[in-house]
Parts: sequence; C-alpha cells; structure tokens
Amino acid sequence: MTPRRLLAALSLLLAAPSASAQHLTLWHAYRGAEQTALDQVLDAWRRAHPAATLDVLAVPFEAYASKLESAIPHGHGPDVFVDAHERLASYRALGLVAPVARASVTAVTARFDDTAVRALTAAGDLYAFPLSVKCVALFINPALWTDPAPPATLESIEALRPRLPAGTYPLVYESQGAYFHAPLLHAYGGAMLDDAGRYTFVGPAAERSLRRVIAMTRAGVIPDEASGALVSQLFSTGRAATAISGPWLAAELGSRVPFRVAPLPALADAGGRLMEPYATVEGAFVSSRSHDPSAAIALAEALTEVPAAVIRARVGRQVVATRDAWTADPELARDPVLSVFREAASHARPMPTHPHMRAVFEPARQAILKALRGDRSPRTALEEAEHRFTDVTRPLPRRRDATLALLAVGLAAMGLVLNSLRGLRDPVFRRDLRRSLPAYAWVTHAAVTLALLVVVPLVIGAVTSLYATREGHSYYVGLANYVDILTARGGPLLATGSFYRVLLVTVLWTVANITLHVSIGVALALLLSRPLLRMKALYRVLLIIPWAVPSYVTALAWKGMFHRQFGAVNALLTSLGGEPVSWFARFSTAFAANVTTNVWLGFPFMMVVTIGALAGIPKDLYEAAAVDGATAWQQFWKVTVPMLRPAMGPSVAMGAVWTFNQFNVVFLVSGGEPDGETDILVSEAYRWAFTRQAQYGYASAYAVLIFLILLLVTRRRSPEALP
Amino acid sequence: MAAVTLRGIRKTLGPNLILRGIDLSLTKGEFAVLVGPSGCGKSTLLRTVAGLEEPDSGTIVLGDRDVTRSPPRDRDIAMVFQSYALYPHLTVRDNLAFGLKLRGVDPREIASRVSEVARMLTIEALLDRFPREMSGGQRQRVAMGRAVVRRPQLFLFDEPLSNLDAALRAQVRVEIKRLHASLGATMLYVTHDQVEAMTLADRLVVLRAGSVEQEGPPLEVYQRPASRFVAGFLGSPAMNFFTGSIDATGRFAEAPGLRVSVDPARFATLPPGRPVLIGVRPHDVIPDPDGAIDLHVEVVEPMGFEAYAHGTVGGVAFVARLDGDAALPRPGERLPLRVHANSVHLFDPTTERSLDAGRS
Repeated sequence: MTPRRLLAALSLLLAAPSASAQHLTLWHAYRGAEQTALDQVLDAWRRAHPAATLDVLAVPFEAYASKLESAIPHGHGPDVFVDAHERLASYRALGLVAPVARASVTAVTARFDDTAVRALTAAGDLYAFPLSVKCVALFINPALWTDPAPPATLESIEALRPRLPAGTYPLVYESQGAYFHAPLLHAYGGAMLDDAGRYTFVGPAAERSLRRVIAMTRAGVIPDEASGALVSQLFSTGRAATAISGPWLAAELGSRVPFRVAPLPALADAGGRLMEPYATVEGAFVSSRSHDPSAAIALAEALTEVPAAVIRARVGRQVVATRDAWTADPELARDPVLSVFREAASHARPMPTHPHMRAVFEPARQAILKALRGDRSPRTALEEAEHRFTDVTRPLPRRRDATLALLAVGLAAMGLVLNSLRGLRDPVFRRDLRRSLPAYAWVTHAAVTLALLVVVPLVIGAVTSLYATREGHSYYVGLANYVDILTARGGPLLATGSFYRVLLVTVLWTVANITLHVSIGVALALLLSRPLLRMKALYRVLLIIPWAVPSYVTALAWKGMFHRQFGAVNALLTSLGGEPVSWFARFSTAFAANVTTNVWLGFPFMMVVTIGALAGIPKDLYEAAAVDGATAWQQFWKVTVPMLRPAMGPSVAMGAVWTFNQFNVVFLVSGGEPDGETDILVSEAYRWAFTRQAQYGYASAYAVLIFLILLLVTRRRSPEALP
Repeated sequence: MAAVTLRGIRKTLGPNLILRGIDLSLTKGEFAVLVGPSGCGKSTLLRTVAGLEEPDSGTIVLGDRDVTRSPPRDRDIAMVFQSYALYPHLTVRDNLAFGLKLRGVDPREIASRVSEVARMLTIEALLDRFPREMSGGQRQRVAMGRAVVRRPQLFLFDEPLSNLDAALRAQVRVEIKRLHASLGATMLYVTHDQVEAMTLADRLVVLRAGSVEQEGPPLEVYQRPASRFVAGFLGSPAMNFFTGSIDATGRFAEAPGLRVSVDPARFATLPPGRPVLIGVRPHDVIPDPDGAIDLHVEVVEPMGFEAYAHGTVGGVAFVARLDGDAALPRPGERLPLRVHANSVHLFDPTTERSLDAGRS
C-alpha cells in the first residue's frame, strides 16, 4: 500500500463521527520526520472532519512540560497533547490529564502492546492512547562485526579490542549518561529508582556497573566521555564496531552507511542477564480542561488507528504501539530496523513514572563522570550523588498559616497610610506639595516605569520566596525556605551545593575577577595614556572589542576554546609539548576557565574608567612629586593610585555586583562543572528554579539572599567626597 | 661661589625655539626674578632648572654639580607651582612630609621640621585639613611650606601668586620676601607681574622671546632700561613713546607737540638731527604752564591719591600721572607738562636699543 492510498483509507475511516462543529487544539514536541508523519495524519483527520477546526502547536521539547503545566490550569492549554509516559504521575497529581478509558475495557487495550498499555495506566484507568515505544538498541557495523549473528554478550564485543586498530572502538555510547548506563545497571540487578520514588543508584550493583564502565574505558573498549554527536560520528565513519543508540541514529545514518540493528546483548559477567534499556512510551493525552472531552478523546484515539499508525511508522519511523499496524502492512514487520526496535522494546523496562525520576539523571550523570574521571571511588561518587538527589527531592516544608503574615503586612500598610494622612493635614506640607505638583508630574513616567520593571518583580520575587513550590504545587511556608538554605538543608555547612560553599565560591569568584579586571584595566590604561604611544586610537578600539561583543557569544566561544579534544587552548598546550587538560573535570581548572572568560569580558570597562580618571589627574602633581623626589614607581603608588581611588571606587563596587551575578559566564562556560562546584549563587538559584523540579520558591529565597548580601556590602561604603 | 650657573641653555618644543641660549648666574642667597610677557620662555627656563624639561644644549650647574641630565629628585631643589599642586588625597601635614618621607628622613625629624615650618607660615591650625578644605591663600602657604620644609639648595617659584586676589597677593608677596630674608636661601622666581618682579627681586632678569633682554638690580633696570622693550614692559601705566629727533643744539629732543631736554651725562654724544625714539614715563611729568609737552586731555581717571590723564601729544597717545589732590584737568582741556631731563629715555628707532652712553 502506498502512503497516498493509506491516507485515503484513513480519511474514510475517520469520517463517521463528525456531526457538530468542533474546535480542538493539539500540542506536540516532534521535529523532523516524526513531525511530518503527525502532520500527514492530522491532515487526513481534517479532511475527514471538515466541520471541525484543529490547531496544532509544535512546542520546543525543552519548554514542553512547563508550558503544559502553566497553560492547562488556566484553560488555554491543548485538548490533546503528545507526551511520554514518565510524566503521567506528575500530570495526574496536578490534575492536568483525564482518563481516556478504563483499563479493563479490553476492546481498547487489546489493540496495543502490553508494555505500552501498562506504562500509560494508573489506578485502573488508561490515561493516554499509546502511540509509540522508544528504547535503545545495538547498532552493528557489518564491516567490523563480520559474524552474521549479532553479539550475544557484551564480552564478545569487548573481545574485538585486540583486532581493531587504535582509534577504532568495539563499542560507543554516551557512557556518562544515566539513560545509557541504565541497561548495564539493570543487568547487574540494580535500578535507578524504585517504585516508591526512592533513589537506588547506590550499593553493590551500582558500584559493579560503574567499575565495569571504568574497566571498559581504561581498556579502550569505549571512548572517553562520548557525546551524542561523537557517537554518531564514530559509528558513521566506521570507527566503531557497535553503538548503543536509539531510532534517531538510524534516521541519521539513513542508507549511506551500512548497518544492522539488534537488541542489546546479555552480560556474561552478570550470569547472562540481558541489558535492559529504558523504554519510553509516547501517548496521546487528553487534557482535564478540554472543552469537548469526547471529541478530544476521539481525536487522540484517531491518532492510533491502524492507517494513522502505519503512516507514523513508515514516515515517522516510529515503533508504533498499535498491534494491527504490524500485520496490516507486511512491510513493517519485515523492516529490519523497526521490527528489531519493537523486539528490543519488548525486553525493555518502562521508565519509572515517579516524579522523582527527573531528579535522578543529573546526580547519576555526575556520579558516573566522577568515577570515570577517577576523582572519586565509585562508592563515594554514588553516595555523593544520592546526597544530591535527596537534597533536591527532600520533602517540602510543612504548610503554614499565612494569616499572621498578612495581618502584619496589613497593619504595616495601614500604619503607612495613617502616617501619610497625618502628614497631609500639615498645612506647610500641603503647601509644599501643591508647589511640587509639577515636579511630580515630571517624574511620574519614570517612577511608574521603575515600579513596573523593578519594584513589582522584586516584590513578587520576595513574596514567592515565602512559598514552597515544586512542579506546579505552591503553598505558603513562611521563612522555611530561608531556614532550609541557611542551615545547608541539614547537611554539613560546607558540603558541595550548600549555600555557604556556593557563597564562598561566589566571593572567591568575585575577588579573583575584580582583582584581575582592575589590575589589567589599569595597566592597559597606563600604557594607552603614555603621550608618546603611536596609534593609540587603534589599540583603544581593539581593547574595547571584548566589551562590545555580547557576553554569551564570548562565553560560548571560550567554552569551545576550552574543549578537551577540539579546543584551541589544548591545541596550544599540545603544540608547546604539554598534556591536554580536561578543563572542566576539576574545580581549579574549571574555575580558571570561567575567570579567564570573565576577565576577557570585564577588563575593558575598568580600562575605560581608568583612562577617564587618569585624564583627570593634573600633570602638576606628578611634577611636584618628581621635584619632591619620587621615582616613577613611587609616583604611581603615591599619586596615581590614590588619585584613581575616588573614580575607581564606584566602578569596583558596580563591577563587583555584576561579577557576583555573572550568570552568563558560569552557566555557559563551565555550566557548574564539575558537579556544581563552580556554580555561583545566581546559577545555583537558576538550577533550583529550572532544572530541579521547578522549585521557584526556593530559588526566590536564594535571589532574596543574594540581594541582601549585595545590599549590605555595597551600602557600607558611601562614596568619598571628591576633591 | 655661584649657587646656580646656566650656560647657553637652548630648548625647542616641537617646531618652536623657546630658549635661545640663556646664560645666567645666581650667587648664594640671591633672589632672582625672571620676568617677561607670556611666551617669552621664563616658565620653560624654570622647568629646565627644575629638571622637568631637558635642555637641547647648555649646562646647568647647581653649587659645584653639573645637573644638566639629572632627574629632579637628584637636584636638591624645591618648587612652588602656580596651581600649588598639593596632593588632594593627603592632609596638610602629609603634604608637607611627603618629600621627606620619600627621602627616608627619620619620622621624629620629619615631625619637628613640619611643625617648625607650620609655625613659620602660621598654618599650624590647618595641619589636619585636606587641600579641598582650605582657601586659595592657605593652599598657597602650604605649597610654600612644602618647599621650605625640604631645606633645598634652591627654591623655584612658578608664578605662585597669580591665582590669588589682589589684596592677598600683596600680603603673600611680603611674606615671601620675609621668608627669603629669614632663610637666606637662593630663589628663582618667575612672574609676568612687574610689581612682584620689582618688589621681590634682588636681581631682575627680563626675558624676551627666549633671550635675556636685560638683567640687573630692579631699580637700575627700571631707571635705565636697555631697550624700548624693557622700558615699555616695566612701569604701569607704560612709558609713552614718540618718534622724533635731536634738535640743532643737541640739547633737546623734539617731536610734534613735545620738546624735552636730554641729560648730557647720558646722551652727550648724539649728533644734532639724529632720529631718536623718545620715552617719557607717566610718573615723570608734572603740570607746568611753561611745560613743553602739550597734552590734549581726553579722559581723566582719578584714583584718590593720584590720577591719570589720558590724551594725545602731537597726535600720539600719552598718559600722565597727576597728584590726586591737585585740581584735575577736564576732558578737552590742554594741559602743559614738564619733564626732568634725567627722566627722558632715548632709543635708536631701528634697533630700539637704548642710546644711553653709560649703558651701551
């Protein structure tokens, strides 16, 4: 059957139930071929339902969940949305989704693969129509693995090592990723998370799995810290005999590279148990706030009808969960990639649906990284990761009554109002006020703008910090967030990720940067102020350029330059006979990389300020000092430096505030590596808000603390009276 | 022995020749004033002595040391700047102590010298103030104190009074003179103000376009100027000049509206009919009905103790000083004036040098 005929059949099939005018909205996060396939399916649906209107919105994957969480409760979300099964528990907890059928209705459930139905079922209800199942499998390069039978064990792949040339690996996969590490962990009998949401990536099985990865890396079986891009690069250029990856690699390789796919092998070391990958089931969910639930359910189900499933399989290369699709189109069953992925999925373990699962990936990744880099023993690395996980998922503080706080705020406001009313009765004040009315009119627009752009967000932020928020829940907790932060969440005060440790790093960061900014800025300004220097204007422009380039561009450029394998810095080191440095593997080097980047960004400002201040120092003072007996060096310390101080003071204070809050550089260059050790307060606050289960209240408390620290430090010094 | 000797100092700044070979020598304890109009090179000469500028050629000897190529700190000099150049970030005490500290003088010694100088200049009450908290006169005194406290071989003053108002200027002038008397130090002082020059100097050095035009004791320079330039520069209001000639008798100089007798002791040898430039100071004329200077009065400026009558003599502008209490002429009147023979100055009209026989 050609796709065109399929579409025709689909339209006929879907035509029946359209009676009244409907308006439906569907959201998805697909791209590429999957998006094309979905569009074709939906076009067919539109032709079959001419009376209905259907809006389709493709939302970027990164923003998908938070957009759903914020849109649906306010009634402007989709009726139907495509998402993975592991968010089901949190969507249910937030009341975002409605059941589409009872799980006991076999007329519905029997149409789908069992794994898929199980993954999308909760409390006896089916919450989404299963669309597809995704998991990883083993890609084989037939030129390097010549046996027609796929590798039966991981050990047989390892045995390839002596037969392959240097630079070619028996196996590639993203070894530091928790998702890719899971099959190995499962084979050793471990798990990332248990059903109750407890972190289980610790203990003997986890340690064995880590030691196995370390051994494979040391033996050259797998490359070091392979990124997704490196995996596909090595495999597609024939430098890897096998690769563990998902259907996306097949799409990328296409027909230009010969390859085969097989389910993951077994692990002889673990008694021949299979390496079980995680399976992700995608389903069509129905919003609890849909205006037309039955129409929404019908649309969601329509996506799983056999002709629609066949299109998604053939065009979108999805391993569809609709059983009959595989028999309706015999080509599907024969497809060497799809059928193997379907088989692999049947051995896969559905990703845990507990909301804590999302808090597992980052700590687990850090544990694997630290163990691979040899910074920590596998046991310590795993324990530190568990601590991180507990930190992020710790129970929220208990709810408190906001009445008292509201009462206090109300009384304070009333006091203010009364006070100003009393002031208003004073005739002198009233006369002055009347006289000043035009002045107030002049500043109104500025005051309103400032209030809207600065004061209101500040107040909202401060109020948010009194709430516990996580994944859309929010309730008043008083000062509990602050107590939590300031007691380092009950852990050691200087543990990684504790407020005080991060504050220490932030202060170190600020001091290091400001020292370098000022000394380099002043040195260059002195050079540029020499009266005999030629082409001064040219140098000045060149030196100001780092300032003129947007800081994130600079930060990304420097991050690239510090790349271990492809970066310019290591290239330079190597050409000078040095060893390449893994810049982001250790605190000292990662911190140095951040500081280097920020110094590059920051010295031009100090230089420009200094050039201006130098021009304001009368020449006589130097002459007087020279006659008084000062050498050039003494003139610098006893005249230049003290005379620069009044102008530099405010600039240094301002620079310190900027540096203290320099999010761009820390976030983009080191990204907090290793394991958040180079994070500063503001990037730490960002992580609590946006990568650790959306704990906005907690993040706001960090923000308020940052504000208070800066306020205290900068208030202390009033600007010196200028001469 | 000479305290300062300058020999053939030449200096160019950019394309301009500022000093054209200056020779000058000061004896120990002498107060020399360099005076001249703006741009004559007097400040540059002072800065060259200080070591802030390096001469293109020539030598500077302080005492018995050739310091031509030495940096300022090796010259044992102190300088008072026009802008005072006090260090704004230091108190008066620290300003005074600055140079001594740099030289590693013992702190007790510094303290005693600072308080001694403060007493001398009556700035004891200001010691803990910052320069911005003081008036111009106070700053000026601190600037002098900073020089005095160093006890240098040579003091240099670069127009130190020009930022003060007239009354203060007169007062500080006297103080400088007193200071010089009590210290007995050698001082080189630059000014464009002829009153300062006249009152302060033991020796006056008139500079013109980078050369020494005349030097000597101030009164001598005033009374017997070597050139029309010096004659016109010193004295206020300036000397009146007429183009004329020696008459047939050889005893008078004549110009339209004017006939004055010349001092035979100074101008005896001038032949009759010789063209001359006649100079008469406003202060040297007195009203006399038989006077041979016929002033056509246009403006009268009464000052109280004296008055100035502005007008023309034979069509040439002329100023006369009159006693303040005398009956003053009215504008439009004619006022005959007389001048004493030894107050008449004669210059060569082409070279503008004095024709004074005793001078040339």
